[in-house]
Amino acid sequence: MMDLDRESEELVDLRTLDYVSKYDEHLMCPICHCPFIRPVRLQCDHVFCQKCLNSAITSFDAGLQNFPCPSCRTSTNGIFMNVPRLLLNMCDDIRVKCPFSEEGCMEILPRGHVQSHVDKYCEYRPIHCPEQACDKKTRKKNMSPDRRCLHGLTRCGTCGEDVMEQDLEDHTRELCLSLRTTCPGCAATVFRNSLKEHIDTCPEAVHPCSASKFGCAAKLKRVDLGFHEQNCPLITMGPFFEAQNSRIDSLDMTIRHLRQRNEILEEAVSKIPSTLVDAAQLLPEGRSVSPTRPHSRSPSQTRASDPSVDRSSGMSSYLLSLHEALREEVAGLSLALTDLDARASMAVMNESLRIKEDMAHTNSAVNSIRMQIHWLMNPRLHQGQRAASAGPGATRGTSTLGLTSPNAGSSNAHPSGPGSRGLSDSGREGTKL
Amino acid sequence: MQGHLPPGISIVKSENFEEWQMDIKVLDANPLYQNEIYRLKFTFGSKYPIEPPEVQFIEIPRSSETPRPIPIHPHIYSNGIICLDLLSSAGWSPVQTVESVCMSIQSMLTANTRNERPPGDSDFVSYNRRRPRDINFFYDDDNV
Repeated sequence: MMDLDRESEELVDLRTLDYVSKYDEHLMCPICHCPFIRPVRLQCDHVFCQKCLNSAITSFDAGLQNFPCPSCRTSTNGIFMNVPRLLLNMCDDIRVKCPFSEEGCMEILPRGHVQSHVDKYCEYRPIHCPEQACDKKTRKKNMSPDRRCLHGLTRCGTCGEDVMEQDLEDHTRELCLSLRTTCPGCAATVFRNSLKEHIDTCPEAVHPCSASKFGCAAKLKRVDLGFHEQNCPLITMGPFFEAQNSRIDSLDMTIRHLRQRNEILEEAVSKIPSTLVDAAQLLPEGRSVSPTRPHSRSPSQTRASDPSVDRSSGMSSYLLSLHEALREEVAGLSLALTDLDARASMAVMNESLRIKEDMAHTNSAVNSIRMQIHWLMNPRLHQGQRAASAGPGATRGTSTLGLTSPNAGSSNAHPSGPGSRGLSDSGREGTKL
Repeated sequence: MQGHLPPGISIVKSENFEEWQMDIKVLDANPLYQNEIYRLKFTFGSKYPIEPPEVQFIEIPRSSETPRPIPIHPHIYSNGIICLDLLSSAGWSPVQTVESVCMSIQSMLTANTRNERPPGDSDFVSYNRRRPRDINFFYDDDNV
């Protein structure tokens, strides 16, 4: 148990690994010529494995402080720095073979994973025999679950050889010298490891006729085969068949070649109509620029100028373009109409405004005239009133009896004042006007 | 170790990590070393590359198919021992490689114009039984 624990902590020596992938030369420690293992950086920016540098320092007697950089001999001053993680990752990513590849482990993995692979996963790692007295090792995958020693010698029951228990299975399956098998032809029993040689020479082994590829169905024992091959018609025809075959092969090649060419050409041909339609579309469009041209002539022109164009498609595209031109025209007209409409309503509004203003002027003039007439009419009205007031006053006085005479006297005397002043006023107003 | 070697340097023997042999030749037209190939022997200790390898020229006689003389140089003894501070414990740096050492020796030969052995060569050769690394050289000449 103790041994096992110790062994699982055993460090893999990364320098002895088999590096599979190519790595950059700059990732190589200049001392050990391996990709850097736990590298450190000196003040002069040179990088070395820690272990390489340590052993160089130990063999240097003038002290750590004076130790010069092995590459450039600059003094290190005893300062060792970390390297960028990038460098560590690049070194750890280099692919290596599992250190137990000789034991049969085919694993190829990044160097950074080797330790854990060996510690935990590698089935081929030789581990110490659980038996304290035994100093041999067993592959991890062969370890018996009851932690028994598998190194005791066992005698192979068939060949009598002494084999270790752990190897017994392999031995009985493949390696045992006593393993025999029967030849399928002559029924002789031969050792298994020499069966191949035996079949090559066995006179009883059944071999097909050498013309079997041309259809000879004969399958005969080697002894009879010679006789058969002398008479076999297919063998005499053989050279002819060969020649035919080679001819067919070459023709096959030619056909394949031509087929490819044909495909390419077909593709090109299928592209031609589409390019022509494009060209046809370009032509009527050029024409629709001048819509004033008499339309009845255009289609015949199109046909005449481009006879190769598919007629119907040319026609339809022409009509389409015509339609488009008309639509444009209509749109232009509607635009003009709205413009006109706007202008007309604007003019109307302007005119009406002016008229309104004029009307206001006339109104005011009429008003002033009315005022003047009124003013001119006023004295005459007063005169008319004064003249009329005698008559109606008398009539009123008569109608009111007794009371009228004193009232009428005062009323007469009273309006005389305003009346005279009104006259003088009217004289002044007249000069003003 | 090296995928692509610089011109004038080739590996002769590198089966193990104890001893390598390299052939070098001088590339320019230095008349002292023209048309000659020299053989270097590298002996690596267990602490290589922390500690320097032992490097020296070895001689293969003229009569053989591949004659390899010892080059004439004021810092190379006639027994093949090289006096080069790069190869001493003090001058060595672990970043050096077989390739870089070969190039240094190549340039050391290229730059030389004196057709002579180090002073006291015959005495040194006849009395020295020590290994090159234990010899206390004086690196007094910086010109070559």
